[in-house]
Amino acid sequence: MNALTLRACVLLLAAAAAVAAPRPARADAQADEYRVKAAFLYKFGAYVEWPDRAFAQADSPVLIGVIGADALADELSQIVAGRSVNGRPVSVRKLRAGDPIAGLHVLFIGRADGAHLGEVLAAAKGRPLLTVTESERALELGSVINFVLVEDKVRFDIALTPADLGSLKISARLLAVARKVVKPS
Amino acid sequence: MLAARCALGLASGAVLLSGANPAAAQQKDLADLSIEELGNIQVTSVTKRPERLQDAPASIFVITGEDIRRAGVTSLAEALRLAPNLQVARVTSSTYAISARGFNNAIANKLLVMIDGRTVYSPIFSGTFWDAQNVLLEDVERIEVIDGPGGALWGANAVNGVINVITRSARSNREGVLFSAAGGNRESDAAMRVAGPVGEDGAARGYVMGFHRSGTQTVGGTSALDAFGRQQAGFRADWGRTESNFTLQGDTYSGESVSIPALGPVTVAGSNVLGRWNRQFADGSSFRLQAYLDHTERDDPVQFRDQMDIYDIEFQHGFRLGTQHSVLWGAGYRYAMDRTLVSLLVRFIPADRDLKWANVFVQDEWSLARSLTLTLGAKVETNVYTGAEFLPSVRLAWKIADDQLLWSALSRAIRAPARVDREFFFPGNPVLPPNPVGPFIINGGPNFVSEVSNVGELGYRAQIAKVASVSLTAFHTVHDKLRSGEPAPAQVQNGASGYTNGVEGWGTYQASRDWRLMIGFSELRQHLKAAPGDPAGTSAQGNDPEHQQMLRSLFNLTERHELDFIVRHVSALPNPVVPAYTAVDARFGWKARPDLELSLVGQNLFDAAHVEFGAAPGASEIPRAWLLKAVWRPDR
Repeated sequence: MNALTLRACVLLLAAAAAVAAPRPARADAQADEYRVKAAFLYKFGAYVEWPDRAFAQADSPVLIGVIGADALADELSQIVAGRSVNGRPVSVRKLRAGDPIAGLHVLFIGRADGAHLGEVLAAAKGRPLLTVTESERALELGSVINFVLVEDKVRFDIALTPADLGSLKISARLLAVARKVVKPS
Repeated sequence: MLAARCALGLASGAVLLSGANPAAAQQKDLADLSIEELGNIQVTSVTKRPERLQDAPASIFVITGEDIRRAGVTSLAEALRLAPNLQVARVTSSTYAISARGFNNAIANKLLVMIDGRTVYSPIFSGTFWDAQNVLLEDVERIEVIDGPGGALWGANAVNGVINVITRSARSNREGVLFSAAGGNRESDAAMRVAGPVGEDGAARGYVMGFHRSGTQTVGGTSALDAFGRQQAGFRADWGRTESNFTLQGDTYSGESVSIPALGPVTVAGSNVLGRWNRQFADGSSFRLQAYLDHTERDDPVQFRDQMDIYDIEFQHGFRLGTQHSVLWGAGYRYAMDRTLVSLLVRFIPADRDLKWANVFVQDEWSLARSLTLTLGAKVETNVYTGAEFLPSVRLAWKIADDQLLWSALSRAIRAPARVDREFFFPGNPVLPPNPVGPFIINGGPNFVSEVSNVGELGYRAQIAKVASVSLTAFHTVHDKLRSGEPAPAQVQNGASGYTNGVEGWGTYQASRDWRLMIGFSELRQHLKAAPGDPAGTSAQGNDPEHQQMLRSLFNLTERHELDFIVRHVSALPNPVVPAYTAVDARFGWKARPDLELSLVGQNLFDAAHVEFGAAPGASEIPRAWLLKAVWRPDR
C-alpha cells in the first residue's frame, strides 16, 4: 500500500468511526417498507383461520388494528377498500397503546410504540388475535408474526405457541414462506 | 443517475400504472402479489417504485447480495460468474476476460460496466480493467446483468450487455460494524467496515479492504508472473428524505502485480468521488442529478501506461404524460484527460488526448393496452472521433398473464472508437535506423469509425406455480464495421463483419423450503468474416465457447448450516484452442453465533488446474483453491 493510499484509508476510517455511534432508528424513509408490510398484513388474513367465536356473524368484518404506525394504517386502508378476506369485508383502525383490543382480528404494533410492546402483547395473550410486530425479541414477548428486514426485503418469523393459545390456525403455506418458525417447546 | 436509468428502464412495462392515481395503482399491484412475491420486493428501490424483474422486457439476470454471500466469492469479477448470461474467463491471477454474447478477450470492448452509476470501462480501449475494479461484496445490494444492447438508455458501448453493480444505501447497513477475513491456498483477504446513522436523517459507512492472490503456473510449467495484491478504501453517505435525498460516495485503491522482473511490476491506482441528488414530486415525477470525478492510473510496462481524469455529469427526469405514457429523458456530458507513456508494445500518438462525450436521450413507455407496453427509446451521443451517433430501440412487452411475459426488441447499438482504435502504434519503441521512431507495424487507425450492431431479441419469462421461474431469450445480431487489421505496415480498419445467433436462459426452482436450485445456459453461434488479408483473421474478435451451462444448489442443512454447490461447464474455445472444462465449487457455511459466520469454500474441486483463456504454453492454469472465511458483525 503506498503512503498516500494508506493515509486516505486511515482518514476515511477515522471519519467513519466518528459517525458510527449507534443511535435510534429513524422514522422516515419507511414509506416503501410500510407499503410492503401493509400488503403483507392484508394477505396474512387469507392464511389464518380464526375460531368461530372471533366473529359475531358470518359476514362480520375482519378488524385490523394498527398501533404506532399511522403511515402503514393509511396504506392498509387504501389496500382493503373494496377487498375482502375469506369473504369478509376488512376494516382498519388506528389505535394507541392502551386502547381496547377486544373484537380485533389482526393487530399490528409498530416499532415506534416499542415501549408498550410488552403490555400490548400481554393483553393480547389468549385472544383469537393475530399479533404482528416489527421488533427484535417480539416473538419472545408473545407476538405471533414478527417482520424482519433481510437484505432489504421484508421477511417474517412466526411463533406457533401464541397462535395456539389464541386458537388461531396458520396455514402451512404461510409457514413455508416464513423465514423461521418457532415451534412449541 | 445511471443506476436510476437502469432501474427506470427495468420498470418498462412493469407496474401498469393507471395514470389517474398512480399511488392507488401501486397499492393494488402490491396487494395482488402472492406472499412469496412480496418477500422478494426490494424495499429501498432506486426509483421508489416496486419493480418486478418479471416484467422487464430485456434479458436481465440479477445477482443478489445473498447470492454472492452463498457463493463464497471474494472479488467482483468472480461474483459475475454467477450470471449465466455472461462469459467470465480468468486469464491470470489478476486479469479476467468478461463479455456477454461473445467477443470475449482480455480487452473485450462491447460491455458497459457501471458501479453505482459510475461508468468504469476505460476510454483507452472501451473495456474494463478488471484488476482495477472491486467493491466490498458484503455491501453489494445486487448486480444487474442485462444482456443485449442498452444503447438507447446507456449509450455507446452497451452493445452486448450492461453490468450494473449497485451497493446498498448506507441506511441499510443496519448491522453496523463488520470484520471479515479469509485465507486459503491461493489468496488471503481482509476487510473492515463501519456504519451508522448521521444526524437526523442520514447514514454513512466507511470501509477498508485488501487481498493478496498467489501467482499461477503456465501450461509450459513456468511462473506466469502474476501474483497480485490490492487494497482499497471507501465511503458512502446517504441522507435526506424520500422526496429529496442525497448520496455521496468515493473509493481509493491501489494494486500491484508481479510482471517480467526486468521491466518492473504492473501497478494500478485510482480514486473517485460521486454525488447524486434524487428528487421526487407528489405527482409521481422525479429527477436525478449525478456528477463524479474518476482518476485512474495504470502502469503496465508491457501494455498500457496511462493516467486518466474523467469528469462526468448527468441528469434525468421521469414523468407521466396522460394515462398511457411514462416518459424518461436526460442528458449527460463526460470529459476525460488521458496522459499516456510508451510501453514495450504500445505507443499512443498523440501521447496525450482529451476526450469528450455529450448525450441526450428520451424513452417513452407507452401502455397500449392493459397487457401491452411499447417502449420507444433513442439516444444521441457525440464523441471526438465520429461526431454524433444515433442509438434507437423499440421494445414490446406482452403480459400474457400475471406471471408470464413475452417480449421482443429491436435495437441499434454502436461501439464508438476508443483511443486504441485511432491512436495505437505498435510496438512501443521500434528501433530501426534511420528513423528516430518507427517504422511501426501498426500505425493507428485514422479511418476507424464506429462498429455497428443491429440486434433483434425475443424473450419469454414466467413464474410457475410460485416455486419456479424461467427466462429464455433468443437473439440475432448483425455486426458491421468490426475492427480489423491488415498486413504490416497496418492501420486499424473496420473490415470485419458477420452475425451472431444465440439463446440464453435460466430457471430457478424452490424444491423445498430449504433447497433452492438454479440452472442456466447460453448457446452462441458466431458467423464472422475477417477483413481480406487480416493476418489475425477472426481471432482478434474474441474467443468464445459455443456452450456454457451452470447448475447451482443452495441447501439449508439446518437453520445455521448451509451447503451450496455450483457446477459450471464451459465448452472449448476455438482460436486459440482452450479445452472445455467443468468446474465444481462448494461452500459450507456455519452461523456459529448470531454475529459470526464461518464458511469453507472449495473452488475447482475435481480438477487440479485448468486453462480458462489464452494460448498454451503461456496461458495461466487456474488451480484448485480452498478458502476459509470468517465474517464477524459484532453489532448484530
